[in-house]
Amino acid sequence: MTQPLPLALAPAVPPSGLRRQLDRWFAPPEADSRRTTWPALMLFLAPALIIYAALTAYPVVRTFYNSFFTIADIESAKFVGLAHFAELARDKTFWAAVRNTAIWSAVAPLLDVATGLLLALCLYAGVPFARFLRVAWFTPVLLSYVVVGIMWVWIYNYDWGVVNAMLRSVGLGSWARSWLGDPNFALAALMITHAWKWAGFNMVVCLAALHSLPSEVLEASELDNCGWWDKLVHIIVPMLWPTLLNLYILAFIGKMKVFDLVWIMTEGGPLWSTETVSTYVYKRAFNWNTFDLGYPSAIAVVWFVVVVGFVVLFNLLFRRRERLEY
Amino acid sequence: MTPSALPAGLLTRWLRQGGLMAIIVLYTLYSALPFVWVGAMSLRTTLEISASHFAWPDVYHWEKYRIAWVDSNFAQYFWNSTLVVGAAVAIVTLFGAAAAHCLARYNFRGNRLVYFILFSSIVFPPQIILISLFQVLVEYNLYNTRLGLVLVYVGLQLPLTVYLLEGFFSRIPQDLFDAAKIDGYGDFEIFWRIVLPVGMPAIATTVILNFIQLWNEFLFAVVLVSEPGLRTLPIGIRAYMGDYFQDIGMIATGMMIAVIPVVIVYAFFSEKLIQGMTAGAVK
Amino acid sequence: MAHVQLDHIYKQYRGTATPAVDDVSFTVQDGEFMVLLGPSGCGKSTTLRMVAGLESITAGALSIDGRAMNEVAAKDRDIAMVFQSYALYPHMTVAENLAFGLKRRNVEAALIQSRIAAASGILGLDELLQRKPFALSGGQRQRVALGRAIVREPKVFLFDEPLSNLDAALRVNTRNELVRLHHRLGATMVYVTHDQVEAMTMGQRICVMNKGRVAQIGKPLEVYRAPADVFVAKFLGNPPMNIVGARVAVQDAQPWAVLPGGTRLPLAHWGTALADGQAIQVGVRPEELSMASDAGGDDSVLKGVVSAVEPLGAETLVVLDLQEGGGEIIARLHRDTPAALGDRAALQVRPQALYVFDGATGKAIPVEIQA
Repeated sequence: MTQPLPLALAPAVPPSGLRRQLDRWFAPPEADSRRTTWPALMLFLAPALIIYAALTAYPVVRTFYNSFFTIADIESAKFVGLAHFAELARDKTFWAAVRNTAIWSAVAPLLDVATGLLLALCLYAGVPFARFLRVAWFTPVLLSYVVVGIMWVWIYNYDWGVVNAMLRSVGLGSWARSWLGDPNFALAALMITHAWKWAGFNMVVCLAALHSLPSEVLEASELDNCGWWDKLVHIIVPMLWPTLLNLYILAFIGKMKVFDLVWIMTEGGPLWSTETVSTYVYKRAFNWNTFDLGYPSAIAVVWFVVVVGFVVLFNLLFRRRERLEY
Repeated sequence: MTPSALPAGLLTRWLRQGGLMAIIVLYTLYSALPFVWVGAMSLRTTLEISASHFAWPDVYHWEKYRIAWVDSNFAQYFWNSTLVVGAAVAIVTLFGAAAAHCLARYNFRGNRLVYFILFSSIVFPPQIILISLFQVLVEYNLYNTRLGLVLVYVGLQLPLTVYLLEGFFSRIPQDLFDAAKIDGYGDFEIFWRIVLPVGMPAIATTVILNFIQLWNEFLFAVVLVSEPGLRTLPIGIRAYMGDYFQDIGMIATGMMIAVIPVVIVYAFFSEKLIQGMTAGAVK
Repeated sequence: MAHVQLDHIYKQYRGTATPAVDDVSFTVQDGEFMVLLGPSGCGKSTTLRMVAGLESITAGALSIDGRAMNEVAAKDRDIAMVFQSYALYPHMTVAENLAFGLKRRNVEAALIQSRIAAASGILGLDELLQRKPFALSGGQRQRVALGRAIVREPKVFLFDEPLSNLDAALRVNTRNELVRLHHRLGATMVYVTHDQVEAMTMGQRICVMNKGRVAQIGKPLEVYRAPADVFVAKFLGNPPMNIVGARVAVQDAQPWAVLPGGTRLPLAHWGTALADGQAIQVGVRPEELSMASDAGGDDSVLKGVVSAVEPLGAETLVVLDLQEGGGEIIARLHRDTPAALGDRAALQVRPQALYVFDGATGKAIPVEIQA
């Protein structure tokens, strides 16, 4: 709120629109420290907004734009309308990729969150070295996908990998397979590896959430004849619901965009059994015999709409309106 | 203590404790053994490994680390990663903190809109910007440059940075700012002298988080930089794996080299890191 | 309903030097309202939680209704507890909160409904049954917490400072409601508080605790009138009892208390219980002091300078600085007492209103000759 001018200095005529606007922009600093001039605001926001506009907003728009063209090289672009989208509907590889990604995104987040909660409960129950375990179990989260990928390629190795070696050592050699080479098992193998990397993150978040629960409510439930299962189902999960939902959405988004791990371990093979939408986009854009950036842009657009749509849907369906005040 | 009541009660308690310990031990092995295995292999020659894949090294071949570092260009990849990630983290922290401060502190029309716009892009799958970023970088001659990658990395981490810092900054008590105003501080001075020092814990957490995410970043690095001399570490390791295809011993050594900086940062900052990663997710 | 018995209960946390609860023994009779009173950190909540089964008992025996309870799980003890923070389940409606414990015990639906209706009627929860805790005020939440305990129809009710989160006016109302509830249900209740007003008005017996130990057990007025030591004497009563250090001087076979500064107070009723030169602490309650008339002698008169005057409307508190190391005395005087800061004043002490405590241990030295 600007200070009222002393009567002697007040202009005889109220300032015109432009003058008033300029005054507001370049007025002396506000007394209310929650308001400031536009130039100051711009100074703070401009760098981030420029980067955002140039490197996120513009590229998104441009990808939408691309999807209507065939872009055979950097210079030329031929308008093809919705042809790419029509082709997409017929593209068997695309649908295989969608199927794989959908399976991954549907199954894995549930397992991730459940595992995270289970591990967190173990630590919450009070075990020796809980702090060390928390730190140790979190480590795979920090490893690069390249490292994790190569590690697990070796673990899954047919001749000498850990999995087959263990099976053979207990006499179940007939169960040994080339896990990443068998179209029936490759996707599951990748899902396990991915879950291995992320379990620690879910555990840590669940543990923090558990510690934020009011202990008196849990004690009250104990007096109400709740064993650990009852406590879990009736008290802990409902009270942790917002956090669990967040974790689920995070895991879901992560699986919808998974690329690095697949690329390192199987590159989408064998026979497209591990092809995901991301790897397919990459291949069509940079690894295909015919160079065309329009088609993979169309795939990206479709996938973008699907992912954002799901996130909005999840929030609408499962976001409990009332605040769990405690 | 009076002697225990029913032996059955004691038995279930032991079973439960034992079951708990079993889960914990098994999971710890599951988590840690792959790492230990690779670590062991990194110190053995490929011949030794082929002979017996799971043995502990009896001779510690430390020179393999030197060979990997020198002969296989790891030093170059390390340097590239350090430059790119360091610059990107510095820039995104500065830009992000400025924006976060503005959004957290000042009331203006469109505040929540800007915040939502910046934050919602966390949900976008990377493919939606991958191809056009490729085009943009080529058109502006930033393809195959470290600068181009730095800018892209800044864009990638901006939403998360703004989200985390806005949350923290908005909890700084307004009194601090009112007092500063009375003392005659201007807006920028307030940001520089008050918000940044007071917000240091959150900023440190964001720096660590961004560092680790970008250090391991693969997709954009592989698309936007093809020149071998400019490769960042993850791409370098992958190329390394291609070069040394069957040389498991050397690959293991290379992997360990890539992992060590992360482990060191983690060893010092584990608490901060875990807090930071849980900050957004716990509601 | 049941009686609760604690025999030499100890609680020591691992890694601490002193026990949190040190040799506590008391019995709560069937249907009695027992208050555990003490400053924060004295171990009263810990004791309550051991009765509930939420803390393990390091040593000693706990029995409820004659059954040993040391190893019995909390849920099997047939007790209900009202927590300081109410501990309502935030994601359930009031009705669900009330029904939860009964459902977990497989009580049939019809019985659950009737108990909820009964409790709701007693506590006035009928319009609140479908609300969730966040939509309730503090007082309403407290009543729901009470309701949750009532529907269980337990043998013992435990209360852990349930009124401390309420504002002052509500506290007075709820205090009375709890007393009426106790009358109505005739239940055994153990109530923990740090507020001596609550203890005096609600308890049938109070157990004063300090530093993990029991200082005194008895009926409120008994404890008030015959405190066992200096701690109990000062803890009950507002303003607290005045305690002044003194020495005994025996003259003509009669003991006198000699205060620093020379004032003498007659301790005739203590006869030979006090020895010459003994160090003691003399106590007198503020309401037993009156302005000295000029005609009185020098004995039993405390002289000093007025250092504070607090006119409260119904009465006036006057703080007298005895000077010469005697400390300060607070007196509750008539509301029209003319006293001003800096005045010299004198307060009359009735000899029968004096208390004597040992100088070193603080334990009360009882009179030898009854008045």
